[in-house]
Amino acid sequence: MSTRTAKVAVALSVAGTSVAALTVGAMPQAKAQQQTIWNTSVPSVMRVAIRENNPSGEPDPRGRIIYVQSVPFLEYCEDVLPNEWFPSWNPESLKAGAMAIKMFAWYHHLHPVTIDGFTFDVDNTTNFQHFRYLSAQPTTNAAFDAIQNQAYADNGGQIIELNYRAGIENDPNWQYRNAQKMAQWGSQYWAERGQTFQQILQFYYVNRSLYRIQ
Amino acid sequence: MKRFPSMKTVLLCGFAAALVAISIPANPHPSAHRLTGAIATIGNGTDNAANGQTPTQPTNNSTGRPPGATGGQNNTTPPGATGEQNSTTPPGATGGQNSTTPGAGSANNNNSASIGQGTGRAPHGPASWGYTQRKTAELRVRVIDGRSRQPISNAEVVVIETEQRLRTDANGYTPWFSAPVFRNPRYRPMVAELHGQLGVIVYKNGYRDSIHLGIRMHEGIRQQTTVWMYKIGPGDRRIEPVLYQEPYHHIWLIQLADKFRQKSQIGEGPERP
Repeated sequence: MSTRTAKVAVALSVAGTSVAALTVGAMPQAKAQQQTIWNTSVPSVMRVAIRENNPSGEPDPRGRIIYVQSVPFLEYCEDVLPNEWFPSWNPESLKAGAMAIKMFAWYHHLHPVTIDGFTFDVDNTTNFQHFRYLSAQPTTNAAFDAIQNQAYADNGGQIIELNYRAGIENDPNWQYRNAQKMAQWGSQYWAERGQTFQQILQFYYVNRSLYRIQ
Repeated sequence: MKRFPSMKTVLLCGFAAALVAISIPANPHPSAHRLTGAIATIGNGTDNAANGQTPTQPTNNSTGRPPGATGGQNNTTPPGATGEQNSTTPPGATGGQNSTTPGAGSANNNNSASIGQGTGRAPHGPASWGYTQRKTAELRVRVIDGRSRQPISNAEVVVIETEQRLRTDANGYTPWFSAPVFRNPRYRPMVAELHGQLGVIVYKNGYRDSIHLGIRMHEGIRQQTTVWMYKIGPGDRRIEPVLYQEPYHHIWLIQLADKFRQKSQIGEGPERP
């Protein structure tokens, strides 16, 4: 191959690379908006930032990050639910809570953050979800077993953050429905009145669907 | 001169006073709320202390006295001796066994005399607050090494409130046992505690003693908790117990804060979902 031919080949290859780079550069943005239950799998491990305790021994939401703990996904979820819901609540309320916790964790696993040099998915405080290591309870574990092969995403299957707040007791907490957050007390309110966890989720989160996953 | 008050006025006033006196009941209305019994009563001598055995099996009561009782050994029956009449067992109990047999899911295992019991009516007033009736739940404790996270077998677990003593198995678990659900009565007039609290101490040779307080207890379900123990190393000169205080559930803390918030103080809550 002559020198001239080689120069043309190099120019073409550079051009091709740049075109490919442009294509690759444009694609992730389109892909990032479409993280669905079809093209992502259930996380295997959660990276949990452990924040320092306040003087009373409680994890401080504003405290420094001490280290990042890798916890199996299911174990993470099981160690959150008893600290966010009451283990003595109605099983349907616990299932609704389990689904919210699972999808919240799944979403944040796909959107990790870096703070103070630590890259993590969630921390162990109410900044994300209240996590206490080895705090799983039999009743809450049963809720995760019940929803093991299910996911709750929007109608296109996109994984979105399912938020929740405490709400107030003995009340359907309509204002939380308007804000697209599940009320924890509200889930118990509806469960005591015979609603299933699907109905509870449908009440608080609109335009979302229950999917079966592998 | 006209007398004042007149005889007629005096008689009318006397009659009215008599009517008022008659209308005051000698006995308070039975449905009126009474504050007697507002203090948490603990089971009497028939308190179930499942001494390391499953609660479905009635056991010999080795700690059959109220936790508040003081003085002396509580066990007049040698450990392991079965079928003998426990000295603290009241008349009526049979076979030296506890008078109560807690089953799974029995929320109201009431050993103590309390308001509303046995009447067939739902308790009202202080009895409905949950402090006057003895409530129990199923609990088991897991003991692990705080460094290696490996289970510790044959550790002794002592429930502080009831003096129950249990041993862990090869997986570090105690058997399921019946434990009381105690709520702190000081908070009830303001806002009900949503779970009870319990404390355990764990002993194991070669390890620091571990005190685990504030175990969350709910009626009617099975619960478990994990106690971490730390080995005593050669460099340890001052060996003291390790304390772990389990915090209140944050749902209750939110309720507590909402209870006393002024209308003008906007906080987290239904105003800002």
